[in-house]
Amino acid sequence: MDFSNLTATQCVNQFASGEVTATALVQSCLHQIQQNDPSLNSFIRTSDSALPIAQALDIKRAAGKPLGPLAGLPIAIKDGICTAGLKTTAGSRMLEEFVPVDDATTVKRLVEADAIVIGKTNMDEFAMGSSTEHSHFGISKNPWNHQYVPGGSSGGSASCVAAGLTPASIGSDTGGSIRQPASFCGVTGLKPTYGRVSRFGLIAFASSLDQIGPMARSAEDCALITSVISGHDPKDSTSAKNDIPDFLATLNQPLKGLRIGICKQHFEEGLDSEINDSVKAAIQVLKNLGAVITEISMPHTPYAVAAYYVIAPCEASSNLARFDGVRYTHRTEGVKDLAEMYCQTRAEGFGNEVKKRIMLGTYALSSGYYDAYYLKASKVRRMIKQDYDTAFESVDLILGPTTPTPAFQIGEHSQNPLAMYLADIYTVSANLSGVPAISIPCGISNRGLPIGLQLQARSFDEATLLQTAHQFQMETDWHTRRPNQ
Amino acid sequence: MNAATTQEQRQSISEDDVTIIIGLEVHVQLDTKSKLFCGCSTEFGAPPNTQTCVVCTGAPGSLPVINQQALRLSIKTGLALNCEIARFTKWDRKNYFYPDLPKGYQISQFDKPICGLGYLDLFDQRDKSKTRRVVLERAHLEEDAGKSIHDESKQGGNSRIDLNRTGTPLLEIVTQPDMRSAAEARAFLNELKLILTYLEVSDCNMQQGNLRCDGNINLHIRVDGQQIATPIVEIKNMNSFRAAERALDYEAVRQLELWKQNGLTISDAPKQTRGWDAATQTTTLQREKEASADYRYFPDPDLIAVTLSEEEIDSIRSEIDRLPAQWREELIGQHGLKPYDADVMVGQGRGVIDYFLNVAEGCGNSKMAANWIGQEVLRFLNESEATIESYPITSTQMTELLTRVVGGELDQTRAKEVLEQMIEFQLEVQSAMDKLGIKPVDNQEIEALCQQLINENPQVIEQIKGGNAKAVGALIGKARKLNPNASPGLVKNTILKMVGG
Amino acid sequence: MSDSIDRETVEQVARLACIDLPASRVDETAKQLAEILEYVGQLEQVSLPDDVEPFFGATESVNAIRKDELSPSVARPDILSNAPDSDGEFYQVPPVF
Ligand SMILES: [Mg+2]
Ligand SMILES: [Zn+2]
Repeated sequence: MDFSNLTATQCVNQFASGEVTATALVQSCLHQIQQNDPSLNSFIRTSDSALPIAQALDIKRAAGKPLGPLAGLPIAIKDGICTAGLKTTAGSRMLEEFVPVDDATTVKRLVEADAIVIGKTNMDEFAMGSSTEHSHFGISKNPWNHQYVPGGSSGGSASCVAAGLTPASIGSDTGGSIRQPASFCGVTGLKPTYGRVSRFGLIAFASSLDQIGPMARSAEDCALITSVISGHDPKDSTSAKNDIPDFLATLNQPLKGLRIGICKQHFEEGLDSEINDSVKAAIQVLKNLGAVITEISMPHTPYAVAAYYVIAPCEASSNLARFDGVRYTHRTEGVKDLAEMYCQTRAEGFGNEVKKRIMLGTYALSSGYYDAYYLKASKVRRMIKQDYDTAFESVDLILGPTTPTPAFQIGEHSQNPLAMYLADIYTVSANLSGVPAISIPCGISNRGLPIGLQLQARSFDEATLLQTAHQFQMETDWHTRRPNQ
Repeated sequence: MNAATTQEQRQSISEDDVTIIIGLEVHVQLDTKSKLFCGCSTEFGAPPNTQTCVVCTGAPGSLPVINQQALRLSIKTGLALNCEIARFTKWDRKNYFYPDLPKGYQISQFDKPICGLGYLDLFDQRDKSKTRRVVLERAHLEEDAGKSIHDESKQGGNSRIDLNRTGTPLLEIVTQPDMRSAAEARAFLNELKLILTYLEVSDCNMQQGNLRCDGNINLHIRVDGQQIATPIVEIKNMNSFRAAERALDYEAVRQLELWKQNGLTISDAPKQTRGWDAATQTTTLQREKEASADYRYFPDPDLIAVTLSEEEIDSIRSEIDRLPAQWREELIGQHGLKPYDADVMVGQGRGVIDYFLNVAEGCGNSKMAANWIGQEVLRFLNESEATIESYPITSTQMTELLTRVVGGELDQTRAKEVLEQMIEFQLEVQSAMDKLGIKPVDNQEIEALCQQLINENPQVIEQIKGGNAKAVGALIGKARKLNPNASPGLVKNTILKMVGG
Repeated sequence: MSDSIDRETVEQVARLACIDLPASRVDETAKQLAEILEYVGQLEQVSLPDDVEPFFGATESVNAIRKDELSPSVARPDILSNAPDSDGEFYQVPPVF
């Protein structure tokens, strides 16, 4: 049987009611992966234990034992998130053979909720990229058109959901790495508030920006998964102690009176006209649902990408220093001494984009440059955060495009990395300030590629994001469109 | 300052023209059960790599969480060292590559250390009636690195890495360059160690690396009315206080000789790092501090800041008992000890002081208690390398013994014999006295004994009668031989009374 | 801010980052870095209030602290299992010199 169009919510409900077995769901996913992934390359590997776990779950249900809130849900995990006993590479040659001792807290919570980890998805190496072209394990494809990138860095996680290989996945978002691929692939992707989801077990790119989140076929699915993976974790000092609201309970509340701000800086030069039109149409839908639309200004938005491309490489240059060929990683053999072992191992184990960013961060932190780059960028970051604080005094949500253009072609930006960096122009601010943001499908371009809409909310107000996204999805069918395969 | 000098000028300077300038950096391992950022044990001596986890080996995805006790012990130390305690403190990364540094950076504190300016007062080494103040720049909390074991054969064999120690909490205490001699540096280290021991914040065991110190040293030289500073040298590897003193002494001489030869000043030469070589008793060049030591400090984004309230700081302050300097004052002022004796006793640690206080109060004579502990007890401890806790005589037993001395039942010499018996045969006071046959002597016996002495020593009696009362001393020893239990004081008084009529 | 970066600086940065950079790739790397540095150089244009505090982390909460309690360490074979070279007791690395 083909379950490839089921949402996560449907999987969980149908499993609970006995309409379908976990084994059948997992077999269907594995079959879809076998059939379609050789051309898509959204997975780096599948898990051998998915099937036995599904079988155990079927027995558990048959015995009438209590089931977790995600029981029966096959879920794919970005390969930058640790899975105990299952290789976790972060898309890098450096970690080609790395087998974590522990599950990431997110994985642990998913497993405890009886979700079934189906496999590990492809990504830009160490999450550095916006196209999933920078993986040691090959390029991932956009299921809507294999000539196009799925976005990145969680490209595999977006692609596998869009292509119907798995109903949901987990990604991570440092500058847009969940939302941008969600938008390129026509799925719903949430970057929760910084601190909402534990980062323990997430291989760090830039610690103050990284956040784990769900990617799925609807806002409802994202709400379901977010409620499982959220919550304070004593192993992560930056994880928040805030209460977790019942995200599902508020989904169906009407939007009447909701104040939505349209940030004028999101509609200036560089925005694709088709995207502009789709977003404007979406605004109309929300207006019809009772939302009150006002224009707002966030004057520091134009500097967000520049601040991001200082801060993220600085943190990365330090976070990636642990990959030195001593404890966890690839090592170059046949060297004469330690210094050579370090430098050769790091030259060989890291790809070019990663090396470039490490060097950039090293330079920006080095003596004489710290103030001009890292400190200045961190001050601009404060201004960006203040823009949000000001905006949220008068509106509840900020709405705009997720990306300036739909998916670009594979290799299109290979000579112009800056153009690729600008794909994050609307998404990086949420990471810099920590606020939650969601990308939902809101159109299809003339070339047949999905278009995404981004909603951003106050810190820890994922509920309003999910509610608004869900209400929009009740009115529209963009999120149900699937690529022709 | 630092003008060029001629060979002739340099040869002509005398010892009085040279001031030695020393600053110290001391790393103190705080006595916590678990490491600074993970729950692994800090116990010393476990088999290699058995006290590690994903956090302290820097596994991908692992994150640090700060240990509350490490914070408390740091604050306690800071308060005892008169430091300003930060109300807001944060964590920074110090980036460098070394195989025993798993993350490629050390989590430390850069611009907001937990303890700010403080000071420590020392006896002036040249005149102990005065004190000298060493200002403390700061004290910050950081994680220790692991241990690299290099191939000693120089055959190019692999180095082996043990990460058990990685992540152990260290408090790095940095002084200003306020010490003026190697002896003073050693005195500083001694006093610091004593304070840390009294606070019970560290085991201070140098063999186990609980206490490590580096020294910065250079010379200020007066040449024809100008002040010249020689290049600063950082000395590492000083693994005992004695080694520190020797290394600094050696280095001061070396710097002076070198300067006399080449005349290079602080502005001509970069800071050097030299290691103390215990085998040759010299310092050898490790590296020149060049631009490559660029640690790229920045705030650790995996950790959040710590704020401290007045209440928390006060509650830690209230846990601090009296410190060595206060004890010295108390022993001198309240118990009448001589400064030297008080210093010796305080130097032995809290256990000895408590022992002393018990005995002094119990026997009612502080001075006697101090003498006995200063001589008998400490001699025993030094000879047997024991601690007061393992000393065979409890303070209660000692009190009982000295009470008998105070009451005239025993003289000091006899009491020492009793003590020896008590130690050797694990006896109580009374049993030891019985064993020695010590029993009270009644007055009739004393009078008979004295009469016998008077009869047998007419010359001595003549002297006494002639006004020389001191001559009676010659009879005390004889009295002891006739009856060891006869109290010398009583014998003396009785003879004088009988002779004088 | 400099938007050009010379060969020597690139080599120094590579040394600090412990990444072997063949001489043939220095110029290209310099060009790539310069390109990004030029772009981020626009931060210079942002005028900031004098008293602006840098925002270093995406959270400004404080005091995540754990009690001083032991938790089990990882078994040595497991912790060493990912190491490219160990003797079962120690990690092994090439000699320092
Ligand atoms: Mg230090
Ligand atoms: Zn540990």
